[in-house]
Amino acid sequence: MVDYHRVVITGAGAVTPYGAGVDTLVENLLNNVSAIQFIPELKETPFINSHVACKVPEIDFTFIPRQYRRYMTKMSLYAVMACQEALKTANIEKPSDDTALYIGSTMSSISSWLEFTKKYFDKELNMVKTMAVFQVLNHSPLANVAQALDMKGSGYFVSNACASSLTNIGLAYQMIKAGFVKRALCGGTEEYHPIFTGCFSILNAASTNFNDNPQKASRPFDKDRCGIVCSEGCAMLYIESLESALERKANIIAEIKGFATNTETKNIAHPSRDSMQQCIQMALNDAKLKTTDIDLVNAHATSTIAGDIEEVSAISNVFGKDIIVNSLKGHIGHSMAACGSIELISIMKMMLKNKVAGTLNLDNIDEQCNVVNHIRNTQDIKFDNFVKNSFALGGTNASMVIGRYN
Amino acid sequence: MNKEEIIQKVNAALMKEFEIPEEKLVPTATFADLQVDSLDVVDMVITFEQTFKIDIRNNYKPGSFTNLGGLYDFIEKLIKEKNK
Repeated sequence: MVDYHRVVITGAGAVTPYGAGVDTLVENLLNNVSAIQFIPELKETPFINSHVACKVPEIDFTFIPRQYRRYMTKMSLYAVMACQEALKTANIEKPSDDTALYIGSTMSSISSWLEFTKKYFDKELNMVKTMAVFQVLNHSPLANVAQALDMKGSGYFVSNACASSLTNIGLAYQMIKAGFVKRALCGGTEEYHPIFTGCFSILNAASTNFNDNPQKASRPFDKDRCGIVCSEGCAMLYIESLESALERKANIIAEIKGFATNTETKNIAHPSRDSMQQCIQMALNDAKLKTTDIDLVNAHATSTIAGDIEEVSAISNVFGKDIIVNSLKGHIGHSMAACGSIELISIMKMMLKNKVAGTLNLDNIDEQCNVVNHIRNTQDIKFDNFVKNSFALGGTNASMVIGRYN
Repeated sequence: MNKEEIIQKVNAALMKEFEIPEEKLVPTATFADLQVDSLDVVDMVITFEQTFKIDIRNNYKPGSFTNLGGLYDFIEKLIKEKNK
């Protein structure tokens, strides 16, 4: 019998379209504040028919010494800030040399790559500065966080599109559970570029009907939903074995009880309910919990026509029609690689407050989505275990079970 | 472009892009004094090539300049040669 370790969350940090900090994030979500805004650049770009997105407000990052900051684009700046908050809340002054780092983004910095490739096509490659090389590396956030925080442990950069952060947390959880790693910073980061919206526009999956009313543009499960609103940010968790947390008398926020990931192979663009259902069930099996032990599912639900129906059907198939379901993408859009960790941290903190934010803009539930117990406003609900889903383009599914620590 | 303008442009770039405090920008300051490393030096060369439209990389020889004052002189020399 393998002697598995329990894995607990003892720190959390976030940089989101509401600004810096987990408390800011949770407060705005509970107050039903939408962070979605009109983006003039989208309107000015031909063939992009969605003109709304969520962006992190201006933050002064000069607290990061230039010797590290010079290699960073926004996704790394967000990551360093989120990691520092996660460490601070975990009461860790400096990460120990065996602290592992698991982080991912969907792509490397698009703006840096565009500048880089422009010089290539203009035959001015000799004018590319050395910093740009480190900015366009796929694992730039991993390298930059490690350098800035002097993290000498193992480092993994898992890029699984919109499931990136949840799979990074899941991998960290599995490594700690199996005893290969004792403690880790894990999550995902993303920096917005209009090309993100352009990609979903190409796929006919970007929100287009609320360009004049941005705060209504993202509306998971609603009958008038029309697509994704892209977003950005970063959220990082500090997680460790229960033995490690108890030894240092850490404040345990919650426990990671189970995780699973699988791959959809029927269609690269459209995850099916069967595949999602299997993923959720595998996570429950890993947690050794019954469906009745789960009080709430925080859906991936990106406000697309097909995706929301498939996911909510999968959830209903597993848990039945009474399971409480919400999505936070009505508030903050789809922060791509960061969405799993941002939303996980949000619901985890809400669990401790015995409050849950509803799905913003869910004015009229789509008939085909009306197969679970949707919550539409912030409610006082005491819950002990929840499932967090992330289902990505390309077929990567991920589900995680989080619970109160007992 | 006179020497004063060269010094002003070099110092402005060093302050803005490389965040070097103004008080450190004295002619006798070496790169070690300015706390810049080899990557910064490469990027500085690109910055000054773009700023002054000169070719530093193919004209630099070891010892061409050893401190900030020497850099001002070197850039002034290349601008004069370009304008000949």
